[in-house]
Amino acid sequence: MHPVSPFLGIWPLLGAILFYMVVSRAPDWVGGGSDDGVTDAINATHLSYFVIGAILLGIIALVALFGYLGWRFNQYRIGDDAVYQRKGVLFRQQRQARLDRLQAVDVVQPFLARLVGFGVIRIEVAGGENSGIALEYLRIGDAEALRNEILELAAGYKRRRDPSQGTDAADGPRAADAVASDAGSSTSAHGSLGALQGDNLVLGGLHGATANDRTDRPAAAERPVYAVPNGRLIGSIALSWPTFWLLLTPVWIVLLIVIFRIDIERIFLAIVGTSLVTAVPVVVGLLGFFWTQLNRGFGFKAGISQDGIRLRHGLLETRRQTVPPGRVQAVRLRQSWWWRKPGWWDVSINVAGYQNDQDAVSTLLPVGSRAEALEAVWLVLPDLGLVGEDGTDPSAPITEAMESPRAEDGFTTSPRRARALDLFQWRQRGVRATDSALVIRSGRFVREVSITPHARTQSLELRQGPLQRALGLASVEVHSTNGPVKPVAKHLALVDAVALLDAQAARAREGRKHQTPEQWMKAVGLDAR
Amino acid sequence: MSWLNPDDAQWTYVSRRLIPARLISVWLAVLIFAVVLLALQAYAGGWWYIGAAVVLVAGLWSTWVAVRQVTAHAWAERDDDLVVKSGRMFRRVVVVPYGRMQYVEVQAGPMARMFGIARVQLHTASPGTDAHISGVPVAQAARLRDRLTTRGEAQLAGL
Repeated sequence: MHPVSPFLGIWPLLGAILFYMVVSRAPDWVGGGSDDGVTDAINATHLSYFVIGAILLGIIALVALFGYLGWRFNQYRIGDDAVYQRKGVLFRQQRQARLDRLQAVDVVQPFLARLVGFGVIRIEVAGGENSGIALEYLRIGDAEALRNEILELAAGYKRRRDPSQGTDAADGPRAADAVASDAGSSTSAHGSLGALQGDNLVLGGLHGATANDRTDRPAAAERPVYAVPNGRLIGSIALSWPTFWLLLTPVWIVLLIVIFRIDIERIFLAIVGTSLVTAVPVVVGLLGFFWTQLNRGFGFKAGISQDGIRLRHGLLETRRQTVPPGRVQAVRLRQSWWWRKPGWWDVSINVAGYQNDQDAVSTLLPVGSRAEALEAVWLVLPDLGLVGEDGTDPSAPITEAMESPRAEDGFTTSPRRARALDLFQWRQRGVRATDSALVIRSGRFVREVSITPHARTQSLELRQGPLQRALGLASVEVHSTNGPVKPVAKHLALVDAVALLDAQAARAREGRKHQTPEQWMKAVGLDAR
Repeated sequence: MSWLNPDDAQWTYVSRRLIPARLISVWLAVLIFAVVLLALQAYAGGWWYIGAAVVLVAGLWSTWVAVRQVTAHAWAERDDDLVVKSGRMFRRVVVVPYGRMQYVEVQAGPMARMFGIARVQLHTASPGTDAHISGVPVAQAARLRDRLTTRGEAQLAGL
């Protein structure tokens, strides 16, 4: 890791200190009166400011010391089939991420790190909670090179054993450098790690690593597929329910006054009177929705490369995601009522391994036209088994799912009697299986289409509650990995549901047999360079 | 009734011993409440015995539910997947392919151990998969676990 890591890591603390300083120096009207508890407490202790300053300095020194130790003990190493990380001062922690279970590699740049040109690599593997590895803070050039290297190894390229030949010639001196600088700064921990590494391992956690050490690995060529203009993004955020409710605020206020005869003036004064400091977070919370939407969709670009799909987006915190082929477990297209006029859709994906921050990492397309949405689907699921025999549009099942239902569109729909349970959506609900995926359509006001490849089906569930039983209905759920997409076909006729469950179990079995291998380049015989 | 009934499925029903295992705690609670309510009736008078009656009815009803649930709870090992069915009022059938199982968990609490039964839970990569078989006799549970893991390894697919 780069030496600045601890400083980048403690920025929330710095922010808190800064905030306190600003607040305590600000005039009274900001803080809402003279209830500065800390100052009072300080005065009460009768300690001189010198002593307090010394204590503060001590705390800062301690934090710095722990930051330094944490950094010293935070090491990673890349083997042929796994990435290893060890960290922790008091509680040592060793982790390995097996490359054949690799699901995605992200380069994340939080705002502060981005200002100074650093980034985090997040390696997501299939596994339980927190099974991923985060390498916190590397120079952005190093981070990207490292990502490319990890992806290459995961794809099944073997690292060259003889470092003196070919394009990888830089490997040799680098490894040598690594060992040398490791010995130079030796602690016992470092020494043993140095002894651990084989001839074909690269040692990280080095203080001597420079930016151009790793840049000899070119990124796999990337072909841009689509980009979301920021104007459209802002338009799409404006066309949403939160905006609608926000614009209706005056109406609510009038309603409150008329119906409940609330003395609105007094409440308003009370709110303003408390303090600006408490009012600001409330406003921020209200606008939080808009902010997160904007932040995650800003400058959204998607591309395709040998390593898989690449997404990059973010306003303050930028994120470059790489999801290797075949790692997408399910796709959802969605169109809210407001977006029907402009014909916009958003597309989300399930990727195993992504745990936190689902919204930020699971977006494949924040807003786009129907053509772009279809392109996005094609990007992650190129083989939908939709090749029309008689020259029909290969994406027909999906385009039809995106429209209002028609007779004979190939979907198994909910029967009319489902209306009693599902007044609005019953007409829209439908299921259709293609050769390689299950397409589920639902939603009257918010249209949703979910696509789950048969080969990615985890398990199936058939459910029936007492009301459904009275009406002869049942729901079928396809379990996918953790993520925003939850494919459920609700309220099908019982016969259809049972048939679907049976057929789907068979199709999933068939799908598993034809699954792409974990090392995706091996599929095309490219396992050696 | 055309509920799912695959031809090749040999349903194995869970042990009836699950019924007393579930009911002991229920009836303990019923007993305690009933005693307290009846004691209040004896000392303070009033309408407390109605409460006791309600508790008793609730106990009887949950006994009925437990019997119905346990007699509906079964599993079937097919060639490629395990099928678990449960519930009568809210019926569920879960199909878990062997190749998708990440791990199998066998657990037995003190009450279950007293009756010699265990609960077998299957985990896939999906948090939505809730495939558990309660009330499997202990020896059978161990065999089932071993069989499932062997089959899972044989058919293991990636994610």
